[in-house]
Amino acid sequence: MTMAPVIPGPPATSPAPLALHGLSVEGVNQCVHCGLCLASCPTFSELGTEMDSPRGRIFLIKSLAEGRIGLTDSTVAHLDLCLDCRACETVCPAGVPYGRLIEAARAEIERQRPGGAVRRAFRWLNFGLLLGRPRALRAAAVGLRLYQASGLQALVRRSGIARLLPGTLPAWEALLPSLPPAADRAPLPPLTPALGPRRSRVALLTGCVQSIVFGAHNQATARVLARNGCDVLAPAGQGCCGALNAHGGDHARAIEMAKRTIETFEATGADAVIVNTSGCGAHMKGYGALLAGEPAWAERASRFAGTVQDVAEFLAREPLRGPLAPVPMTVTYHDPCHVVHGQKIRRQPRHLLAQVPGLRVVDLPESDWCCGSAGIYNLTQPEMAGRLLRRKVRNIEATRAEAVVTANPGCILQIEAGLRARSLRVPVLHLVEVLDRAYRHA
Amino acid sequence: MSPLLEKLRAALGPANVLTGVDLSPFVIEGRTPEVAVFPGSSEDVAAVVQQAAAAGLPIMPWGGGTAAAVGATSARAGLVLGLKRLDRLVEHEPGDLTATVEAGMTFDALQSALRARGQWLSLDPPDGDRATVGGVIAADASGPRRHLYGTVRDLLIGLTVVTADGAIVRGGGKVVKNVAGYDLPKLFVGAYGTLGIVVEATFKLRPLAEEERLLAVTFDRLKDCGAAVRALLASDLLPNAVEIVDAAAGASLGLGAAALLVGFDGLPEQVDAQARELAMLVAPLGGRDVTVLAPATWPRLASLARDALASPAAVMTFSVLPTLVADAMEQGAAAARQRGVGSAWSAHAGVGAVTGALAADREATTVAAVLAEWRAIARAGGGHAALAWAPLAVKALVPVWDDAGPAGRVMQRIKARLDPNNVLNPGRFVAGI
Amino acid sequence: MATLAVDRKSALRRELESIVGRDGVLSDPDELLVYESDGLTLFRALADFVVFPTCAEHVAAVVRLANREALPFVARGAGTGLSGGCLPAEGGLVISMMRMNRVLEVDYDNQVAVVEPGLVNLHLSWAVGPRGFYYAPDPSSQQACTIGGNIANNSGGPHTLKYGVTVNHVLGLEVVLPDGELVWLGGKTRDALGYDLAGVFVGSEGTFGIATKIAVRILKKPQAVKTVLAVFDQIDQASAAVSAIIARGLVPAAVEMIDQLTIQAVEDAFGCGYPRDAAAALLIELDGLRAGMEAQAERIVAACRESGAREVRTAADEAERQLLWKGRKSAFGAYGRVSPAYMVMDGVIPRTKLPYVLGRVNEIVAAHGLRVGNVFHAGDGNLHPNILYDPRKPGEEARVVAAGAEIMKVCAEVGGSISGEHGIGLEKSDFMPFIFSAADLAFMQSLKAAFNPTGLCNPGKVFPTKKSCVEAGPVAYRPHAIEERGLAQRF
Repeated sequence: MTMAPVIPGPPATSPAPLALHGLSVEGVNQCVHCGLCLASCPTFSELGTEMDSPRGRIFLIKSLAEGRIGLTDSTVAHLDLCLDCRACETVCPAGVPYGRLIEAARAEIERQRPGGAVRRAFRWLNFGLLLGRPRALRAAAVGLRLYQASGLQALVRRSGIARLLPGTLPAWEALLPSLPPAADRAPLPPLTPALGPRRSRVALLTGCVQSIVFGAHNQATARVLARNGCDVLAPAGQGCCGALNAHGGDHARAIEMAKRTIETFEATGADAVIVNTSGCGAHMKGYGALLAGEPAWAERASRFAGTVQDVAEFLAREPLRGPLAPVPMTVTYHDPCHVVHGQKIRRQPRHLLAQVPGLRVVDLPESDWCCGSAGIYNLTQPEMAGRLLRRKVRNIEATRAEAVVTANPGCILQIEAGLRARSLRVPVLHLVEVLDRAYRHA
Repeated sequence: MSPLLEKLRAALGPANVLTGVDLSPFVIEGRTPEVAVFPGSSEDVAAVVQQAAAAGLPIMPWGGGTAAAVGATSARAGLVLGLKRLDRLVEHEPGDLTATVEAGMTFDALQSALRARGQWLSLDPPDGDRATVGGVIAADASGPRRHLYGTVRDLLIGLTVVTADGAIVRGGGKVVKNVAGYDLPKLFVGAYGTLGIVVEATFKLRPLAEEERLLAVTFDRLKDCGAAVRALLASDLLPNAVEIVDAAAGASLGLGAAALLVGFDGLPEQVDAQARELAMLVAPLGGRDVTVLAPATWPRLASLARDALASPAAVMTFSVLPTLVADAMEQGAAAARQRGVGSAWSAHAGVGAVTGALAADREATTVAAVLAEWRAIARAGGGHAALAWAPLAVKALVPVWDDAGPAGRVMQRIKARLDPNNVLNPGRFVAGI
Repeated sequence: MATLAVDRKSALRRELESIVGRDGVLSDPDELLVYESDGLTLFRALADFVVFPTCAEHVAAVVRLANREALPFVARGAGTGLSGGCLPAEGGLVISMMRMNRVLEVDYDNQVAVVEPGLVNLHLSWAVGPRGFYYAPDPSSQQACTIGGNIANNSGGPHTLKYGVTVNHVLGLEVVLPDGELVWLGGKTRDALGYDLAGVFVGSEGTFGIATKIAVRILKKPQAVKTVLAVFDQIDQASAAVSAIIARGLVPAAVEMIDQLTIQAVEDAFGCGYPRDAAAALLIELDGLRAGMEAQAERIVAACRESGAREVRTAADEAERQLLWKGRKSAFGAYGRVSPAYMVMDGVIPRTKLPYVLGRVNEIVAAHGLRVGNVFHAGDGNLHPNILYDPRKPGEEARVVAAGAEIMKVCAEVGGSISGEHGIGLEKSDFMPFIFSAADLAFMQSLKAAFNPTGLCNPGKVFPTKKSCVEAGPVAYRPHAIEERGLAQRF
């Protein structure tokens, strides 16, 4: 038969692999434009504009890589507005690696447009000063504790003075957690020995932010793991896993942090690396892809990534060991994005809660819908974060649950702030806290 | 006139062109048409339309004549275009569950041909022995089983029409699912021949059910029947018919009181199980014994109210929300009673299709006053009402069709585009079409 | 096309903003770019503006403005359509309905819901689900597509075998006509007054106006559901099983066929439980009363076994059932795992012609040196051959288009149709003469003129743009008329 003519127009062939900031975005070609992701995207759902949908952002990234468009203000704004919640990955039949694409795009944004002063200040505060340096974080924690204990915080919140703070600072203030007393902030011992027959030897990521603000989570995690036959190592000298840097476009530092984390945990010889924060777990499981370009590290990073497990994922592999005391209350479970979408862990937390006697778990509508926390999103995009938070709180209210259970400190901070704003006295607990309570009262 | 007659006789043969006294079967509301013709093919229908249009003669498509008196009366009767010679079952492929049939075939003839091969067209319009397929489409006729199986619009998948300018046009197709082009079949359903003359139609079919049963439950009041319908619709049961009749209409079935009639079909065990559940469902709502009606009752249901009265003064059909059916029937009966007029009522209650028939031949003004109230009741129920039958004197006082509002202007624009010279059933339809 | 003069464009923008608000108008070229295609990437066309009304009055005002300025306009929902139907083929305005997405009213007793057009199809079922109801039409994109879009295309879905397509569930519509007038067509009661305008509007592909409120039927969830998976080593056996089921007098809720290539793609995507080595599988669903369900299922199983099924099993629980359906409904997207692009066909054929036509499809695609995956509504005879290709390989796309035309021709020859549920849009407009005569098309054009006399409402769709396509024989790819005018491009 005769061949049909080739239609003139923009180049139909793009022989060179597509990349941004040296990071491959070939994954855009897996997108067949079916649009099944649209309704799963929180920002599209709120705004209805396709530039703020996964398919639209993939298209923007593709167009950027092909040189059809440049990095204009509007394009940056649409890419920045992405929560990186990866809900779209869960529903994508074509397997588009969306998380990797948006991170590459953000690295390119960071390269071309290092951002405004406020943004830089926060980046310095978060990434540079605090996250990589536990001691600095601890010093900040003392200051925070003083701020809260002195009653100054109450005054600030009452007076509404926070609204006069520049930029995103009001959002920052609203999210400040109630700091636990010093006992809960104490570092974990290097080894928490297994109770009962030994099942495994694991190392716990104690993290950066949560070791201070949520030290109690780590302590509860260690106790619950020990009750289930694990020697729990908490290697000293571990720092940040680099997730926030990667999500924020700070690719170089993310790589350094990944290497340090791998080194630290490899040295423990543990069977598994347990993580109780969603973004860290999802990020560490992706170390293989992150370091794929470095021959000396690629295989090592992949192997390491294979040992990383979310605490719920690990515990749910076997029935919980008894005895468990009843926890007579009604709770609802919120899926952290990087647990449910980033790591595809949906069934396990519910399975664990179902084993707690007396605990009634009611379904949360849109349970796998982002609460707006999304790393530092609630600080950089307070308006959208606030819309999503109000939506989350409305759904929580509808369940009439007495407490919200989730599995990530960022979500806990955010949802607590949302409930506080509505004057609702509904505590937000980490899954391990619920299990720990059942064990401690047994 | 006579040059046209000559042309028609030449084209169709003298036997198929009637004039004079032979026209008596086609006299409607006292108006005698000028000629009645019976073409034998789609092409002949097209030729007749072209010739009549050229002669400025209005055309009235004619199937079995069962709905010929429905609609507003036009000034001039013109040419009756009878389709009785187009009466073939063109194609029935049981494996495809479709059949193509010419418009002049009577409905019952089609059904018996289909039944012989284990299938049926899931429509049960009244007067199926005389009504033709084309007429059923044009009048959007249906019966009790529409509750489960829908109406013509849900079953007609393709058709061939002769348009006002004599073109032969096909719409839809022969496959059960088809979105190519506009959905022309919808346009001709219930259009009373004002946009084109249906000459052939394709329907989707269903396999015959293994068993079917019609059950009756009597109640003290219509209101209780309404409550039972509500409970039935909220239940898991899947009836194929949900009817309410008042005592007057029920009497012809030997029921003697307001009654709920429910049909079930399917496997014998499905019919049995549902009949049992129905009995349990209606008992606490005041339903008395559940009785089984003879299968021969089915064809009477579509016209029960009309047939309950020896010679009704008027028949009105209502389309209202299903929950308001019993109320509409009670209010309608009360409105008639207040003026000393009896009435009979029946409804396809689950779909909100109500028929009221007025008794006693009172003076037209009384009848018109009742009908005006009935129409108000339909509107209050979120719907509308049409005069299905009434003598000319009443039609002069009560519009046959309800006010279509702004949508009526859209209909007029469609009519103007598709029949610019206004030759097809002029003046008979909604919005003066 | 973006050919408006700069000052006219900014004046128009201000005027549009005065109707829908500042955040309701897009005119930045980079933003408009995202709207250049729908679910079919074969065509693209740029709008001058995308506007986001939040109520019917906004839509009417925007449409009146478009009329005054002689600007073409087209409504867009989620953009999941597969025929280019919502593309601004001649530029002008894209009116996005995504901010009109509320469930306005649910009347459970009368089983009617009134919704806005931007509501996601599945979200209506979610909204009425707690009371035991659902919305029956279930296009495979139902998790994202909107009910307004379903109205435009008269969308179907797997369960339309038993429950009918969108039009069978629409009672009435509030629409903005192409001249900006707001009217109700039909209502909340079952029987229309006068012509069935709602019925005619549904499936008119956005050329008769823009729906702003939609009254639909909602159905009670069935008492029982049974989902059967039948596995075949030959595709003809699966076709035979479809006929055997029909011959037994059964009307399942759905009968879907999935071939091997598709099975492997969806298994890669979600691990749904389809056997990777099967030549074809039938997904058959029965629903209705608990009574008799077993007996019907036995007949289905017997029909499949007699036709040569190597395995027939029933989904053990709701989770397994959902997973099987997820695989079926995600199939199109899953082709992204095996091919960078695909073109989905949407032909319909009489059920009895299934084996013949499937054979012809394979021959045609092979002759063009391409691969095809089949996933379709076998019970309805609604085929979806998905021709896989790589748009970056020169000439491949043209071969796909040519093969597609040949497949449509085969469907037409056996008495079928060129579209069962995706619509004609831009994609298939030149193939309309395969199934419609000049008189048929002229009549449809007259009907269109009654609604849309200026032609500004979604121009360039549905009707053929070239007479040459009437020619017999395999049709080679030709540029679409709007491409020739430089208004849209393929890629």
